[in-house]
Amino acid sequence: MPGFTHLHTVSGFSLRYGASHPERLAERAAERGMDALALTDRDTVAGSVRFAKACAKAGVRPLFGAELAVAAPGARGDGSVQRERRRTPVRGGAFIDESTPRVTFLARDGARGWADLCRLISAAHTAAGLPLLTWDDNHADGLTVLLGPDSDVGRALAAGRPDRAARLLVPWREVHGDALRLETVWHGREGTGPGSLRLAARTLGFAAEQRIRPVLSNAVRYADPGLGPVADVLDAARRLVPVDPAKGLDSGAAWLKDANGMLGAAERIVEAAGFRREAALRLLEQTQATAAECLVDPEDDLGMGSVHFPEPHLVGAGGRTAQRALASRAAAGMVLRGYTGRREYWERMHRELDIIAHHGFASYFLTVSQVVDDVRDMGIRVAARGSGAGSLVNHLLGIAHADPVEHGLLMERFLSKERVVLPDIDIDVESARRLEVYRAIIGRFGTERVATVAMPETYRVRHAIRDVGAALSMDPAEIDRVAKSFPHIRARDARAALDELPELRELAGEKEKYGRLWELVEALDALPRGVAMHPCGVLLSDASLLTRTPVMPTSGEGFPMAQFDKDDVEDLGLLKLDVLGVRMQSAMAHAVTEVERATGERIDLDAVPEGDPATYGLIRSTETLGCFQIESPGQRDLVGRLQPSTFHDLVVDISLFRPGPVAADMVRPFIEARHGRAPVRYPHPDLEEPLKGTYGVVVFHEQVIDIVAIMTGCGRGEADRVRRGLSDPESQGRIKVWFAQRAEANGYDAETIQRTWGIVEAFGSYGFCKAHAVAFAVPTYQSAWLKAHHPAAFYAGLLTHDPGMYPKRLLLADARRRGVPILPLDVNKSGVAHRIELVSESKGSKVWGLRLALSDVHNISEAEAARIAEGQPYASLLDFWERARPSRPLAGRLAQVGALDAFGANRRDLQLHLTELHRGARGGRGDQLPLSGGRRTAPAGLPDLTSAEKLSAELGVLSMDASRHLMDDHGAFLAELGVVSARRLREARHGETVLVAGAKAATQTPPIRSGKRVIFSTLDDGTGLVDLAFFDDSHDACAHTVFHSWLLLVRGVVQRRGPRSLSVVGSAVWNLADLLQVRQEEGLEGVAARLAEPGGTGTGAAGTDGEDDGAGPARRRLAGSDGRPAPAGSAARDPMEDRRIRMPTGYEMHPWADLRPAGEGPAVGRKLWHRSPGSAG
Amino acid sequence: MTILCVRFQLPPVYEAALPQLIGLLEEFTPVVQALPPDAALADLRGAERYFGRSAVELASVIRVRALALHGVDCVIGAGPGPMLARMALRDARPGLTRAVSEDEVREFLADRPVVALPGVGGRTARTLCEYGLDTLGRVAAAPLSTLQRLVGAKAGRELQEKANGVDRGRVVPNAVSRSLATERPFTRDELDPGRHRRALLSAAEELGARLRALDKVSRGLTLTVRYADRTATTRTRTLPEPTAHSAALTKAAYGLYAALGLQRARVRSIALRVEGLDPAEQASHQLTFDPVDEKARRIEEVADRARAKFGPRAVMPGSLAA
Repeated sequence: MPGFTHLHTVSGFSLRYGASHPERLAERAAERGMDALALTDRDTVAGSVRFAKACAKAGVRPLFGAELAVAAPGARGDGSVQRERRRTPVRGGAFIDESTPRVTFLARDGARGWADLCRLISAAHTAAGLPLLTWDDNHADGLTVLLGPDSDVGRALAAGRPDRAARLLVPWREVHGDALRLETVWHGREGTGPGSLRLAARTLGFAAEQRIRPVLSNAVRYADPGLGPVADVLDAARRLVPVDPAKGLDSGAAWLKDANGMLGAAERIVEAAGFRREAALRLLEQTQATAAECLVDPEDDLGMGSVHFPEPHLVGAGGRTAQRALASRAAAGMVLRGYTGRREYWERMHRELDIIAHHGFASYFLTVSQVVDDVRDMGIRVAARGSGAGSLVNHLLGIAHADPVEHGLLMERFLSKERVVLPDIDIDVESARRLEVYRAIIGRFGTERVATVAMPETYRVRHAIRDVGAALSMDPAEIDRVAKSFPHIRARDARAALDELPELRELAGEKEKYGRLWELVEALDALPRGVAMHPCGVLLSDASLLTRTPVMPTSGEGFPMAQFDKDDVEDLGLLKLDVLGVRMQSAMAHAVTEVERATGERIDLDAVPEGDPATYGLIRSTETLGCFQIESPGQRDLVGRLQPSTFHDLVVDISLFRPGPVAADMVRPFIEARHGRAPVRYPHPDLEEPLKGTYGVVVFHEQVIDIVAIMTGCGRGEADRVRRGLSDPESQGRIKVWFAQRAEANGYDAETIQRTWGIVEAFGSYGFCKAHAVAFAVPTYQSAWLKAHHPAAFYAGLLTHDPGMYPKRLLLADARRRGVPILPLDVNKSGVAHRIELVSESKGSKVWGLRLALSDVHNISEAEAARIAEGQPYASLLDFWERARPSRPLAGRLAQVGALDAFGANRRDLQLHLTELHRGARGGRGDQLPLSGGRRTAPAGLPDLTSAEKLSAELGVLSMDASRHLMDDHGAFLAELGVVSARRLREARHGETVLVAGAKAATQTPPIRSGKRVIFSTLDDGTGLVDLAFFDDSHDACAHTVFHSWLLLVRGVVQRRGPRSLSVVGSAVWNLADLLQVRQEEGLEGVAARLAEPGGTGTGAAGTDGEDDGAGPARRRLAGSDGRPAPAGSAARDPMEDRRIRMPTGYEMHPWADLRPAGEGPAVGRKLWHRSPGSAG
Repeated sequence: MTILCVRFQLPPVYEAALPQLIGLLEEFTPVVQALPPDAALADLRGAERYFGRSAVELASVIRVRALALHGVDCVIGAGPGPMLARMALRDARPGLTRAVSEDEVREFLADRPVVALPGVGGRTARTLCEYGLDTLGRVAAAPLSTLQRLVGAKAGRELQEKANGVDRGRVVPNAVSRSLATERPFTRDELDPGRHRRALLSAAEELGARLRALDKVSRGLTLTVRYADRTATTRTRTLPEPTAHSAALTKAAYGLYAALGLQRARVRSIALRVEGLDPAEQASHQLTFDPVDEKARRIEEVADRARAKFGPRAVMPGSLAA
């Protein structure tokens, strides 16, 4: 009996169609004894690289293909000519039109086949709307074409029209000739539709009659039986309709059947077609033969493992070779930067050039340098980050700012003769102008060489719940509630999370109510649900790019986007340049422009004086909100303990605040040694040199490389390879032996070796690359400098470009605390972006205030903001209305927040006038406006907004409490409760029990040393920030409230770790907004009653443990995915087996740590505020 | 304090029981206005003197009789005018009649939200709240011109009068029920137009039958489609001629539905309402030479009689039978 190859198989990369990951398909094919398997995803080959790798692992030959919608001959691409237009629905939108016939293409002739496939897919994606291949593009020499039940021919047969089928076949035969196959599929369905026995038999008969070879396929959508319901959910999610049993469900037969199963199907089909039984074998043989023809080799034909750089002439090499051009540019850089007299620089440059020449990467360096030059010429701030900063050549070419020799950065961490992977230079640009940079790159190299990288968005628990819920006709409000109560975890962990997370306890109680929901949610785990443009990767290649990857236009900007994601493109040997948009760069650029606009002073940030005492003073005070990299609660704590005073301290600080160093407990010894509380120790005097700068504590990758290089005497290139091996437990063992042998040979005693190895091992691969840290520290210092010297401009930049982890209102509170006057929104003064304004001037000291920006008004369009700013100043409301032409709702919002106060009358009166102006404009009744006193607006006798309403309007419209801090109104109640303000908290004793209150600013559950889950939160009460920590024992009572409330009242114990470092360990928490309402309505007695209730625990704590075990295996099977939404903290084993995640460094991580918690991030704007029924708007 | 507003606590069925209860009220005063489906206004101006009891006392009598005769409980509000009686009703409980006297009208109104005022719908209320006029006290205090600018000249004047407790309404006896409604919910999100049309057909059949039972004809038809996200679309159409003929109602309902052009909308229920009811004998009917229409009406008549005899499901359109 011949074997069988599935020629028509889709994976999850067929968005919302395929239900299994390519890896799973490859595994199953191997398990079921198949030698080859095709992957023919819908409109994409995005899964090909993963598939090829999985196939190589499973020992299965991969075939590549794609399923495409093909327009009929003669029809133009749009296909709208024949169809009558349906009425536009008043609600719910139109049906997704999936009526175009689909055909499967298989790449046959090696590289040519792959190139054809790429071309066809790219061509299909040029159509407007859903991908559609026009008939004119439908030609290829290297492809095999399968006409299945969904093709036009198949449909004609299903309709019982073999005559029409024969007619439709003619053009196909003309174009593809012998490469044409007819695909029969039997899914055990009734009738004559796709998957029915009668259609399969008709197809077979038709094939015999037309003398076209038939093949058998199973049109596979999922790897295992029993996944039909998942396919139904995916269908529903794709068509955006609920699952409707009356409309027919998935047959459940479209799984990856083994050869016997398919032989059975073949027998049924040939019998039904009236052939003898033996014909079944011939059908299978034909299928096998077709599979055997398709020879595309992942290495040779897809280009995996080879590298393609842009041609040298495009990167400024002229007629020379790239290496010559690079050498001369580097030498020029030496002269330019004044290093000519220094021998070590020359030597290092030549050594680096040798390494580059060894790999033939010269074009790469020239390419990056070209891009950086182009960006800089556009006036955009650009900085290199990452290990590339360790290369002197990069510095000489102007790619990296910091001098690697001076900072002790190593080339080997970036590139060495021993390293075979592609080097990686990342460049940071201003986030606001990132797309401009993309356009410039595309303009420089052309669309045939440049493409952005795709980023599949995969199902995680919230989206899975939404889509499954919608498919199951659940109430949308209910779906929303359930989805939002989950933290951002993997879908497959849904039920485990319900059982284990205290904040989900309430939901877990009603788990049964949702029936099949959970099972289906877990089954969707990690399936791609959409494709977006990767935010930073750009592919650069030679002109052959389009024969190696299909491209599709991105939805917003229409950039060409390769279908592969960032890992795939590396495997494919495509050069990726990471262009990261960094908001801080934009913010700083804005601050500098503002200073220049307002004062005429030009600041060159790259040339600010080093070692500025005011800057370091600010950093040491830990009031570093808004400063790059050092604003998080943990960093503020660390900065407070470390007390940096030099640039090097900043570099160390940034490197220490990483999961690795925290995990390896490098922070405490370092701090102790730094403040002289512990002696500096070196494992061996030889190691003093690399470890001196960090008091004997290993912080940087570079130091490990040096340690290994010194102890073993191997080169640094080799040492870097060893360092990389440390993260893998297996190779770690080998390295240990090797290290001991070599070190012994170099004359180190056993104790030194053991001690050093201990350090190297603990360090794992979790240190930080010093080159990264240096690159990070530069903007850190620059932003802190700005904050210290130009606070108003700094906040203007921050608020305009919104960087960082905190909501804008917190930055505003910070600005207020630091004495920057906040000037309200005013249509006559505010600009599109935040600006600075001179508030007062006395004896040479000027106070600059921050004027809020129009762009922060809710729902304002760029055009509107620009129009308002352009028309300034306005003489009256009427003038404003006529010239700025704001939309009615926008004008209303402006009036609410007082931006129109200059025109007289109160805010509600203004609203009324605006409404009438709006009506007047529509009714064309002229523009009469009751004015009194000429330009002032006449009052209409409406009650003005109360103070609370004004604040509420500010929060609603600007998402910021602009006029005062929102906690200010509750001073009386907080005083009644005896709440300690953040400012007074600084004087609190260690161990004191206090009450604190404030608006939640940020909540995290980061991975921490003890392996427990700790909820960190920051409260802002107007006088400062209070950092909170909630440990395991309080989660039952607190977690839900912390995640889902905005205003919190917390009881906790003060923990003091340094003069500036203090936090509160929470033990009880209440929703302050509720309490405020109770206070207002029921008085203090009501509040007392509320506080007397047991906090938050409530329903069914005991419970559902028993039956979960039974569901375990079933769940595991159903979850059915090996796809990995990169597990938290990397290096995670499957937590379904082992609830704790063990880091290689030996510390355990709580499985639910490091996830974005539930709730919608920190308190911002609209939802924060309790709104009275009479509140504005 | 002579107008009573009575809400009978009818089980959620037809308004069929209402006429009997109205009859009960008519034993006290001839000036009774039905407020379908379950309430009525009664003007007791003459009755107070006739029975020698105050309106509040009469309210107790009414409640006792309703319970004794029909087993139906009721809540009653009393006030100087129909509007105030209705508003008083909201504060009333079974056994506790809420009476608003002439002198306490202003205080009674001052703290109420604007939406409590009969005649102030969601839209007007939203407009008023937007401008800070969220209670009737504030509305009363606002200048008339401002109110008129907000909601229009006539509505503004009425609004201010009402907010000040000036109640110009009268109880109009024999004012008939002005509309009939029915709803067809679906058990799941329903997208299938076939099933939507079935629901429409069944609703139109029911409304037709109810109209004919009351000897009324309707001038207009309103379709409300409710969606899974708890929003709704409402469309109204005036019928070509007043009718109680099921086929005509069905045709109009189909027309309304088709105009929505729904495709992927997740429909949770479909409601139909016939409005502008007039006595059937006042309706005009365009005769045609086509006998089809005539036949359909005769069949309907027969079917109605069969239904009266054998129950509402005795005769029905074939497509609903399955």
